[in-house]
Amino acid sequence: MKNGILVSPFRRSILMHRTGNLLALAVLVTACLVALIPFAFMLGASLMPGTDVTTIPYRWIPEKPLWSNYLRALRGQDGSWIYLRNILNSFIVSSSVAVSSVLLASLTGYGLAKFDFKGRDVVFMAIMGTMMIPFETVMIPLYLTAVKMGLQNRLIGLILPFLTSAFGVFLMRQYLLGFPDELLDAARIDGCTEPQIFRSIVFRNASPAIATLAILAFRGQWDNLLWPLLIVQKDELKTIPLYIVRFTSEMSTDEGAMMAVAVIAALPVFILFFTMSKYFLRGAGIYTGSKT
Amino acid sequence: MNTRQKNSLEYRKNRWGWFFIFPGVLFFVTFSLYPVLNAIWTSFHNKKLLSLKPPRFVGFQNYVQVLNSQDFWNSMRASAVFCIGVFVPVFLGALLFGILIAERRRGRRFFQMALYSPAILSSVVTASVWLLLFDPRGLANQFLNALMGTPGIDHHWLSDPAMVQISTILVYVWKTIGYYTILFVTGIGKIPSSVIEASMIDGANAWQRLTRITLPLLRPTMALVSVMIFISSLKTFSTQYLFTQRGAPLAPINVLTLSIYRTALTDQNLGKASVMSLILFVILLTLSWLQIKAGGRGEDLE
Repeated sequence: MKNGILVSPFRRSILMHRTGNLLALAVLVTACLVALIPFAFMLGASLMPGTDVTTIPYRWIPEKPLWSNYLRALRGQDGSWIYLRNILNSFIVSSSVAVSSVLLASLTGYGLAKFDFKGRDVVFMAIMGTMMIPFETVMIPLYLTAVKMGLQNRLIGLILPFLTSAFGVFLMRQYLLGFPDELLDAARIDGCTEPQIFRSIVFRNASPAIATLAILAFRGQWDNLLWPLLIVQKDELKTIPLYIVRFTSEMSTDEGAMMAVAVIAALPVFILFFTMSKYFLRGAGIYTGSKT
Repeated sequence: MNTRQKNSLEYRKNRWGWFFIFPGVLFFVTFSLYPVLNAIWTSFHNKKLLSLKPPRFVGFQNYVQVLNSQDFWNSMRASAVFCIGVFVPVFLGALLFGILIAERRRGRRFFQMALYSPAILSSVVTASVWLLLFDPRGLANQFLNALMGTPGIDHHWLSDPAMVQISTILVYVWKTIGYYTILFVTGIGKIPSSVIEASMIDGANAWQRLTRITLPLLRPTMALVSVMIFISSLKTFSTQYLFTQRGAPLAPINVLTLSIYRTALTDQNLGKASVMSLILFVILLTLSWLQIKAGGRGEDLE
């Protein structure tokens, strides 16, 4: 139903309605342009010599694409190719966290959603309570513990504090609450053990929630700067955010290569976004969705 | 099957619940509960990083020192300015875009995805891109000069104490507005269409529908989004960190998180850093409590 036409059949109001629509479209298109322009800048600049990046007036399209920026981005100032190693580190850390998040959160979420044991609600409330603790508050004690345990400059030290998250438990519990009990009971009557039921029935049928959680967890660590900054000093153990920090301070005049570093860092998450945008948007909408 | 047998079966089954939640519970005890208690303990002790001396109990000395230090209040100011500076444009912008997108019949998905795309970039990548946009010869200056008709003026995005605050706010607004837009679109989508149809039959025009139906019914989402904006912008770190690494003045953008990091690592004063981190915790706790209340009101709608 076209808005307004039904209730105000006068030409003037139709005209007003049309201009309103056009105005709304103009606002949205402008907003999208502003959102996308820095991407265009980033891509263009990654193929320009540094002097062109800050030229006045700025030319958006590089005259001749300078692919060597990407080579320098990967090779680094000292020719050690350390970025490749750092990208691998980011992949290892982010994927490990994604896998363990999903495993631990679905186990815990399943236990909280489908079993009625003493103290369950207290445990659930306590875990939800930890969601309010900012990482900055636990950061210093965790750091001291990590130092004591010799986890500095080790990838496992980057993974351990993020093995799972309260939000993940919440997500899995909410999802599994809706899982049909009849299915579980049928499996029990058929003689399945509880771990079998979890593995072959619950876990296999929770893929939408699992995908959403895995993406959230992966991105969280792909993005993490604060904790690696504390834990890792050795160049070969750094992750992408730390490499960017180092590159921007060491090679500050090589703006083209700086943007090439940024494009390379952004690429995997963008591929993830375009192939699985459904789960991204669901992840974004979970807060309001969960309140139903 | 009699009830006693059934109950014992139920009981046996439910014991498995502990089995499933045990690894998770162990994790939260080790990585959330214990560190928080440890932070509270540290806040009452004189503890230096990398010091072999055993920490000494000092009572409330760290609290007194923090509450009397100019640095701390400057950080509170920097965080407050940042949060409010982010809140106003993000809230109003996201609400406007959310309403406009929800009104559209075509291209809803495209607009949502385009506005959301900055949120995909990691915060360090975002900061490094905007570092170049804010360059004295960069696009931000060129754009602003073209807009105001003042060619060749450098607005000192990264060096002027007032401008650098605006710059960090701009980066954050750009990055997060799409996310909240989606929340608003979802919120509007949940308004029952029967209510809207009824209002149209009663002869409400688009403006009346917006002010009398959509906005009042969107209040729970608005409350939720407001709190979420405050919570997330209190935790901002990467932009401020990278900008100061590149020579931006520290004091104007020394937000709480950056200040905690520097107090712990640069000044190596763990007691003071713990006090600050607990103050941040209390602020966030208050905000989360508000969020729960906002969420509770959301249930009234259903």
